Amino acid sequence: MKGLLKSLVSGYLALVLVFLYLPIAVMMVMAFNQSPLYRLPVVWDTVWFEELAGNERLLGASLNSVVLALINAVIATALGTMAALAFARYQFRGKTLLQILLFPPITIPWLIIGTSMLILFFWTGIGRGLHAMLLGHVALSLPYVIVVVGARLKSFGVTLEEAAATLGASPWQVFWRVSAPVMGPGIVAAALFAFAVSFDQFVISYFLAPPGISTLPVEIYSAIRKGFTPEINAISTIIILVSMGLMLLFARFSRFGGER
Amino acid sequence: MRIEQRRRFAILGLTAPTYLWLALTIFLPLSVMLYFSFLTVAPIGNREPALTFAQYGAFLDKEFYRFLTWRSVMMGVHVTLGCVLIGYPAALILAHHVPNRWREALFLLIVLPFWSNALVRIFSWTMVLRENGLIDRGLQAIFPDAPSVGILFTYPAIIVGLVHSYLPYMILTCYISLQAIDRSLIEAARSLGASNLAIFRRVLLPLSLPGLLAGMVLVFVPVIGSFMEPRILGGLEGVTLGTVIEDQFTAVFNWPLGAALSFILLAIVLTILAAAYPLLRRNLQPF
Amino acid sequence: MIERRGIVGAAAKAGVGFVLAAALAIGPMIGAAAAEELNVLNWQGYGTDEAWALELFEERTGVEVIHDYFNSEQEMLTKLRTSPGTYDVVLINSAFTEQAAKEGLIQPVDSGKIENFEDLSPLLRDSPRFIIDDKLYAIAWVWGMTAVAYNTEDLETAPESIQVFWDLEFAGRVGWRDDAVEAVSFAAIATGQDMNHPEDLDKVREKLRALKPQIRAFWSSEDEWNKLFAAGQFDVSTYWSGSAARSATNFDLPVGYVVPEEGAIGWFDGLSIATDAPNPEAAHAFINFLIDPEFYVRWATEVGAPASANREANAALPEGDMGREIHGDEAAMKRLQWMAPLSDEERRTYQEIWDETKAYFAQ
Repeated sequence: MKGLLKSLVSGYLALVLVFLYLPIAVMMVMAFNQSPLYRLPVVWDTVWFEELAGNERLLGASLNSVVLALINAVIATALGTMAALAFARYQFRGKTLLQILLFPPITIPWLIIGTSMLILFFWTGIGRGLHAMLLGHVALSLPYVIVVVGARLKSFGVTLEEAAATLGASPWQVFWRVSAPVMGPGIVAAALFAFAVSFDQFVISYFLAPPGISTLPVEIYSAIRKGFTPEINAISTIIILVSMGLMLLFARFSRFGGER
Repeated sequence: MRIEQRRRFAILGLTAPTYLWLALTIFLPLSVMLYFSFLTVAPIGNREPALTFAQYGAFLDKEFYRFLTWRSVMMGVHVTLGCVLIGYPAALILAHHVPNRWREALFLLIVLPFWSNALVRIFSWTMVLRENGLIDRGLQAIFPDAPSVGILFTYPAIIVGLVHSYLPYMILTCYISLQAIDRSLIEAARSLGASNLAIFRRVLLPLSLPGLLAGMVLVFVPVIGSFMEPRILGGLEGVTLGTVIEDQFTAVFNWPLGAALSFILLAIVLTILAAAYPLLRRNLQPF
Repeated sequence: MIERRGIVGAAAKAGVGFVLAAALAIGPMIGAAAAEELNVLNWQGYGTDEAWALELFEERTGVEVIHDYFNSEQEMLTKLRTSPGTYDVVLINSAFTEQAAKEGLIQPVDSGKIENFEDLSPLLRDSPRFIIDDKLYAIAWVWGMTAVAYNTEDLETAPESIQVFWDLEFAGRVGWRDDAVEAVSFAAIATGQDMNHPEDLDKVREKLRALKPQIRAFWSSEDEWNKLFAAGQFDVSTYWSGSAARSATNFDLPVGYVVPEEGAIGWFDGLSIATDAPNPEAAHAFINFLIDPEFYVRWATEVGAPASANREANAALPEGDMGREIHGDEAAMKRLQWMAPLSDEERRTYQEIWDETKAYFAQ
């Protein structure tokens, strides 16, 4: 009985992973398919990886994307975690209003936010550039970070911290020994979200990138009229495989998922 | 009074960076757009705008805007339900039935699909879902006479694409909440004779509600404004309020109408959240 | 409970400092400009950004060409409005040249600096779309059609009438571009009206609604069209002429292309110079380079292109080139209706008609 339940349970998780990875697998297979139109049956070829190796524009754009997403993840996670802490640990006037204000960035379609940013940055002299793109990306990531870290904090409550403080732990000890480990999984999840939001962010980058600077999503979307080649699949495949390697390595040496 | 002062300083210091950042990049620009939504035409170039409520009036005048709004909201409901039904059990298994050494790796495997480009993912879905696509070919390899089950260019195709795009949000928010539940609570309930169902209803569900609700909000809210997935996967059924808003900015120079429709969308989202406020307040940080 | 504010306070201080540091660190991240640059605003993959062409131009003039792209005409206008002094050369569809000029976004072009100017087809070169208040605001570059493409494996003969889109034999087999102005234009042509300013909009509405059983898929890009066509999703579809030539030649798709007897949509694009262009001299040189037969023939034969506005360039295409055949049919060209500037009001009306039609499709 227990064995049956166990295999049902892992079978279910496997199915969910298959669903999540189905289009990713298609994307990867098409990177190795000779046909630029994703035609079936697949004719195996590495031509798109060779093309990619000579495509400096695409490689440069990918590098920009990674750097931007990393900086964005650090800033957004730091700021968002602080705000989530304030919401979780204090009662104060205007809190509800501040919380409601988190919704416009995720509700209003990015296209409109992007257009308004372009106009306002033009009027205020902030202009276009990587700095403007970063401003926009962090703003869009913040609500995700706050909600995710907040959900984690709410699940734990404050009892552990209070207990530690009562037992004579200093504030820094409380933070590093109790709060940080408790928030750990939430912060990691939030950072992963923030990275993903920025890494796939197109509209904001598209409006705010100056000529000559672009990111991977911008390259893909602006190729839409003529069409993108499977070089895009090739670079995406490389990115996924490399991040998979890095992540598994990271998972091997850390316990951010929490002890249990 | 010193404690009160330090408390204030702490609140200010913790929230100010986030909200200053949002003010500059979101609220100020959006106020400009809000202003535009009350104009006849965006005051760009040599146009002369006048104040009007016509943009919001159009929403009341034209039945199809309301139809599309309803459609977008229903789409949000269907996608959210799909994500809950698939994602919550997955998170539960991940948090409580997967051995430690696998957990982090699986957790990361779930986020990873996110790190590919949305447009590329959607085009991959068209390959899978179309007639004579991968599902059809797979089926016909097993049952040579199987009829086509291609659902590309229908409403279900949109839902599949959107559920796929947003499922990781749901799994992760549920997971970080479920994982926080002390296992000894479950053991205690079991030793007191609680059935599995009772443990789920009385222990797991209430304690993981913050994560579940956070996940629902993070899925529902962006989905009702989505336009790319419906456009590419939906074919004739691919029109939503999101696509109409997009058109006002890309196809015609009608920012005021596009802005007005977006703020109506925002108002609907806030109304729905307000209706759920008692539930959210109890369970969801930040509320 | 009391102890906690200590750490929170410390975190708060750190936060304030962090924002300041971040703001300072990321300020001037844009690199300094190189020797001589030329900024071009165009659709991606629309000729001007071919790597070999840019190399050749840089070799000859020492000017490095940098591209920025747009995905719709409205976006192009918005980018011009919000980035003055950034762009040099910009591609503008002739239906939008007047608006750009009247908004002060582009400056007159000095045709004396364009050696190849005299070789341009007078019909396009001297078009009233480009001459605004007696000043020339664009150099005609390419022209093309939006007409009927069909699968030559499914249709033995080319469809003659535009009514093929409404023919029940092709129910569920039609591809259609998701674009309001184009949809209204085709419906107007099919109901025998002026394509740009149809008088009877109710007829247009009705005709568009009748597409409900017909349309299989909407397309919005050449890439999407090719993928849908290759997957056998439709038999007949609206399509751009230059793209049809490219699909047939470069992707070996069984594409036939025809201008139906009722007519189809004709359009032409011009190259303009932005107001406050940083480098107007190089801009003129680049425009001249782009209308030269040398550039065009290589673009058309190796990549696929719409028809050139330069008669010499078209004549230099090899015999049997599909683009040359499609664009060289003078009888077909006479049947075209040409895209005209539309008022904001007209565009809004067409958009509303199209959105309402799509809502009807989805019901």
